[in-house]
Amino acid sequence: MKIQQMTFMLIAVTLLFILVGVFFLSIRLYNLKKIASSLEEQNALLLVSKLANSPEFSCGNAFETSMGSCVDFDKLISLQGRSDKYSDFWGVAKIEVRKIYPAEGEVLCDSSNYPNCGIVRILDKNVNTQPASSNFVSLCRKDSNGIITYNKCELAILMVSSEEKRT
Amino acid sequence: MIKRKSKSNSRLHSITRAKMWNRSAQEEMVGFVVIIVIVSVVLLILLGFLLRSPGSEAVKSYEVESFIQASLQYTTACENQIEFLSIQDLIVSCEEGETCLDERNSCEVLNETLKGIIENAWNVKEGSAIKGYKLKVMVDGEEKFTIERGNETRNYKGAFQDFPKRSSNYEVSLDVYY
Repeated sequence: MKIQQMTFMLIAVTLLFILVGVFFLSIRLYNLKKIASSLEEQNALLLVSKLANSPEFSCGNAFETSMGSCVDFDKLISLQGRSDKYSDFWGVAKIEVRKIYPAEGEVLCDSSNYPNCGIVRILDKNVNTQPASSNFVSLCRKDSNGIITYNKCELAILMVSSEEKRT
Repeated sequence: MIKRKSKSNSRLHSITRAKMWNRSAQEEMVGFVVIIVIVSVVLLILLGFLLRSPGSEAVKSYEVESFIQASLQYTTACENQIEFLSIQDLIVSCEEGETCLDERNSCEVLNETLKGIIENAWNVKEGSAIKGYKLKVMVDGEEKFTIERGNETRNYKGAFQDFPKRSSNYEVSLDVYY
């Protein structure tokens, strides 16, 4: 009877310790998940910012004043035909700029419909990609109304996707 | 005879005592098990709460920040003698009570353009991840202009950008609720 009681007690105590252990383990796991998500967010921001501010994309001083998060529409159009040369340069699988306002729909940009188009696909390796990281940018170009030449900046979103890693 | 009786009495007494001890030990054990079960249930509930993975946020704070920055650079249809005004310049123009070259009120153009931008960027509708937004323009700490849509929820991401112009301090802030 006593052995039975002792066994019963030992099982109960062991179970309690296991539960307490799992509880603390899950707390650590939860914190790790939070850190991972924050790092992922930072990484995405850095990647998109790096691209937006790289000489191949950024407005630089082409529009008189220096503007942050500004992407040169002309540069994008000329980059579009050279994606094979840049395919390994940025270390990503897909780069796309989508015009948000004014909305131009899903029309892919090329030299024939520029600037009345909605999507500039700069790079597409046609591989499985991770969910895209995105950031808002100003899509700027020089425009003219027949009288003056002025800077025309529109709202766009820069989307970058990395290749999905195989596990 | 008396000795025998007392011997049997003490035996009976010890059996009763043993039974009582046994019963009390059983009660203690049941109590202990009950405590363990209660603690386990509490721990399991907390574990459930902790392991419920927080789904990826619908809005990232840097997105709101970059949205404000990019929006302020947007070129509007309001033209002055020199150029087409950006949203940032149009806010100042609206505050100064100026009109565009085509005689339109700068505040009207600002309202129209900002509404168009924000509605296209943050899609608020039934079943959408974005539940609402509130955009405020403040001049020297005083609220001058507000655009809001949808519901205010407890989850939101916000950002602001300020800029000084013509001896006033302007601040544009946006809260996006999800």
